Amino acid sequence: MPDYGHDLRFGAFITPTAASPRDVVDLAVASEQAGLDLVTFQDHPYQPGFLDTWTLLSWVAARTERVRLAGNVLNLPLRPAGVLARSVASLDRLSGGRVELGLGAGGFWDPIVAMGGTRLTPGESVDALGQAIDVVRGLWDVENRERLVAGGPQHHVDGAKRGPAPAHDVEIWVGALKPRMLRLVGTKADGWLPSLAYLKSLEALGRGNAAIDDAARDAGRDPAAVRRLLNVGGRLTAQGGDGFLQGPPRQWAEQLAAVTLEHGVSTYVVMGDDPTTLAVVGQEVAPAARELVAAERGTTDGGARA
Amino acid sequence: MTDYGHPLRFGTFVTPLAADPEETVARARLAEDVGLDLVTFQDHPYQPRFLDTWTLLSYVAAATERIHVAPNVANVPMRPPAVLARAAASLGLLSDGRVDLALGAGAFWDAMEAMGVARRTPGESVDALADAIDVVRATWAEGPPTSRRIPVWLGALGPRMLRLTGTTADGWLPSLGRIGTDGLRAGNAAIDAAAAAAGRDPREITRLLNVSGTFDDATRTGSAPGGRSDLAGSPAAWVERLLPLVLEDGVSTLILATDDEPTMRRFAAEVVPALREQVARERAARGTDTGRVVPRGVRALRRDGIAYDDVPAALAERSVEPGDPEHAAVAATYMRGGSPGLVLRPRTTAEVVEALAFARAQDVTRRVPLSVRSGGHGMSGRSTNDGGIVLDVGELDTIEVVDEDARLVRVGPGARWGDVARVLAPHGWAISSGDSGGVGVGGLATAGGIGFLGRAHGLTIDHVRAVEMVLADGSTVRADAAQNSELFWAVRGAGAQVGIVTSFEMVADEVGAVGFAQLVHDASDTAEFLERWGATVEASPRDTTSFLLMGRPRPGEPVVAQSMTMVDSDDPDVVVARLQPFADLAPLLGQSAQILPYDAVVSPPAPGPHRGSGEPVSRTGLAEHLTPELSGRLAGLVASGETYFFQIRSTGGAASDVPADATAYAHRAANFSVLAMGASRRRLDARWDSLADGFDGLYVSFESDQRPERVADAYPPATLERLRELKRRVDPGNVFRDNMPVLGPEPTPTAES
Repeated sequence: MPDYGHDLRFGAFITPTAASPRDVVDLAVASEQAGLDLVTFQDHPYQPGFLDTWTLLSWVAARTERVRLAGNVLNLPLRPAGVLARSVASLDRLSGGRVELGLGAGGFWDPIVAMGGTRLTPGESVDALGQAIDVVRGLWDVENRERLVAGGPQHHVDGAKRGPAPAHDVEIWVGALKPRMLRLVGTKADGWLPSLAYLKSLEALGRGNAAIDDAARDAGRDPAAVRRLLNVGGRLTAQGGDGFLQGPPRQWAEQLAAVTLEHGVSTYVVMGDDPTTLAVVGQEVAPAARELVAAERGTTDGGARA
Repeated sequence: MTDYGHPLRFGTFVTPLAADPEETVARARLAEDVGLDLVTFQDHPYQPRFLDTWTLLSYVAAATERIHVAPNVANVPMRPPAVLARAAASLGLLSDGRVDLALGAGAFWDAMEAMGVARRTPGESVDALADAIDVVRATWAEGPPTSRRIPVWLGALGPRMLRLTGTTADGWLPSLGRIGTDGLRAGNAAIDAAAAAAGRDPREITRLLNVSGTFDDATRTGSAPGGRSDLAGSPAAWVERLLPLVLEDGVSTLILATDDEPTMRRFAAEVVPALREQVARERAARGTDTGRVVPRGVRALRRDGIAYDDVPAALAERSVEPGDPEHAAVAATYMRGGSPGLVLRPRTTAEVVEALAFARAQDVTRRVPLSVRSGGHGMSGRSTNDGGIVLDVGELDTIEVVDEDARLVRVGPGARWGDVARVLAPHGWAISSGDSGGVGVGGLATAGGIGFLGRAHGLTIDHVRAVEMVLADGSTVRADAAQNSELFWAVRGAGAQVGIVTSFEMVADEVGAVGFAQLVHDASDTAEFLERWGATVEASPRDTTSFLLMGRPRPGEPVVAQSMTMVDSDDPDVVVARLQPFADLAPLLGQSAQILPYDAVVSPPAPGPHRGSGEPVSRTGLAEHLTPELSGRLAGLVASGETYFFQIRSTGGAASDVPADATAYAHRAANFSVLAMGASRRRLDARWDSLADGFDGLYVSFESDQRPERVADAYPPATLERLRELKRRVDPGNVFRDNMPVLGPEPTPTAES
């Protein structure tokens, strides 16, 4: 099984609860203070109990200085690709290059349609995601002087002006589970961002990686061009046990390092909204896991090809 | 030609340049620093030189503290309106209400089409905008709830757009350079005519205006069409030009399009104050109505006995009356429907004082008792009314640790217990509340609080060490064991009678993970089951608290009882040992048991308005033991089908360590609190009255019987006498008489009223 050699990053998956916006923002700020590398929010624009994720990301960008930000993952059917591209580029510029683009094809069609979105078949929604990636990349590609024509039936631009450009090379991470989406990740995306709870097992992670790697090679890409990220839940306890991420920080570090070395995951996004857990992950788990991975890779800092 | 008498606001129109985003944000900050009220950005999502406007607005709102932000105007064809509505509501929540929403139909169709937007004719664009307004407002009605109404302004030019503005919008936002003074007058006339035809007061539509300008000695900004500015010359010349726009053409929000720092500074320092002063002087001389604008449709629904136009300004903006869109969301409680004439939503103790003074002065408060609402969850449903005033302290919802070593926390009455549990959990603490995380702190912590940790740690009120409260006369006092000790006694069990608590200091208990079991028992022999369950509870160590729930028996099915039992221990052996006797009570039809954090059991439900309707029909009683006789009678009640929700909560344990005279909740011997909810007031009362002599007292929070005898059930004679004596001193007018009124349900005439 592969280790793609990416540097290790740790992030938070914070519930964008509308009832307590202060707590949500505080937890994002606390995540930065705890040394985490990434803050993410899920995106369900039809859910009245949640804050709008893009608005929240923009707000949090202004209240933080160092941490990277991403939707986990943004709901493409309700966020037209062209405006999304300019939004991401804008926030990346405003935040000094701290934004990455997590994208999902959308799964809950009834509420999406109720919000004005168009119902797509599973196949169409995969195609739409591919079109969106082309539109987004085309709009960001300001060096390109050619007329911009990209996309397809769901997302398209024809003669749109390119720009603004993001401040850094924004990565596009895709939440994917099924084979066609995994192929798309291997063909076009910069990262794969599934949730362990949906994958159900680490073995499924390995199968997903293999599908992405095959697709990447078929497209003439190096599989290492696709960063592997993973949303994980767990519980810090004093006593170790058999469960994954059900133990003390040292055990978390060992288990995560093992997943990195065996399955190539290099970004762990911790769910659960618990400030203590996030602090311990940032301050104890992350450095220990980096050290373990570095020792195994034979490097000094846990990083290699970024 | 008219002055609509709206308050003056001044804003700026900053170019959202992408090249140097820090500079763009700095200009917005400057607008705040120089004292302007509003910063706006044009929205052209096809324009690569610009930052995305919504992203920038959100970022700027987070980077400022006071100023409002608005798109000028948002491009509706490129922004799905339902998502835009949620985004605006979210930014309102994040920024404490500092967002306004201006919408436009979109103009540059070639550029939009290149971005993948389907081209619309001008007529279709207006239709789409009208639809978008409906969608935006409908989405807001769904949630999330915001504390301030977000106004919808339209950038309208053509006749159909102007009509739409008059019929549905909250404001009109044209640019002077585009339409000129004549266009402004014609537009106002068209809007006023459309408003009147739609039954609206033309004052319901705010008139805003984008203007460009250069001072003689300033650099030209070049933002005006054709390079000519709307305003030129000295500040005095600007004022002279602007004054008739306000006094004759009704413009009240002036937005200066400039990216030039000296121009912005000079506008704020030399034009704004002078214009304000002259407008104020002229308005006073002309007797212009500058009162708050209340839509005609809202005014028509006002209730008698409330001087709506006299609501203090700080409260007026957030108050809700029957015609307001938010009324439905604040009218009902969890259990009871209602239609209050006015809901006041103070955010600070000082505003509570203001709200109370206002409420007391209203005629309606003599007829309809003032309702005080924290979470609105009370089974008794007392926190709403019909036509009266509700004082909603839901915004006083802070939860903070005061002293880590003493486990002392300060909690506002508007916080919900699920949120308290969530905040305390990381400290390894909890405060026993009830069985629902949706319950508000204020109601429970002034009445009792019979919760899942009750036998282990006592009632909720037993954790209160001090309160800050507002008394009927408007004074704010602290009550604890040392000062105002009689109030401190009363507030723990009869708080609703003596004042409005604005802050509680409470001591939390050390509570880690807990055992929690839900067992479904065959309770076909109901009397015997109740008796055995009661005996099992009493025989259990204090770490164990059990609640029992039964519904209406279904024909042909076994009678079932569900017990929910919490064990204050994370030791699996202890938990199993405690649960086993409950499992052995009767054949089990279902079971689940786990060890989990306390806050996972008492978690807050998703936010949203309460949807209760009608009057709650409930009766309650407290008992020391579930004797064979009482068990038999209760079994008869369940079998009668007159209660669809029958619950017995165990209490006692630590709650019984407190002397009966230590708090106004005096029923310290009780081990059981019984609740029956029914469909028919008459039939449930008839049943319950016949078994009531088996109880010793009742639990205030759950009782909805309004007959005056209940007061004596709630408070034993010595307690009641003491309460009445205190009440005559601190609330002689009987303002607080909505909930178990110890001086009766009528106001008492006093010298001051």
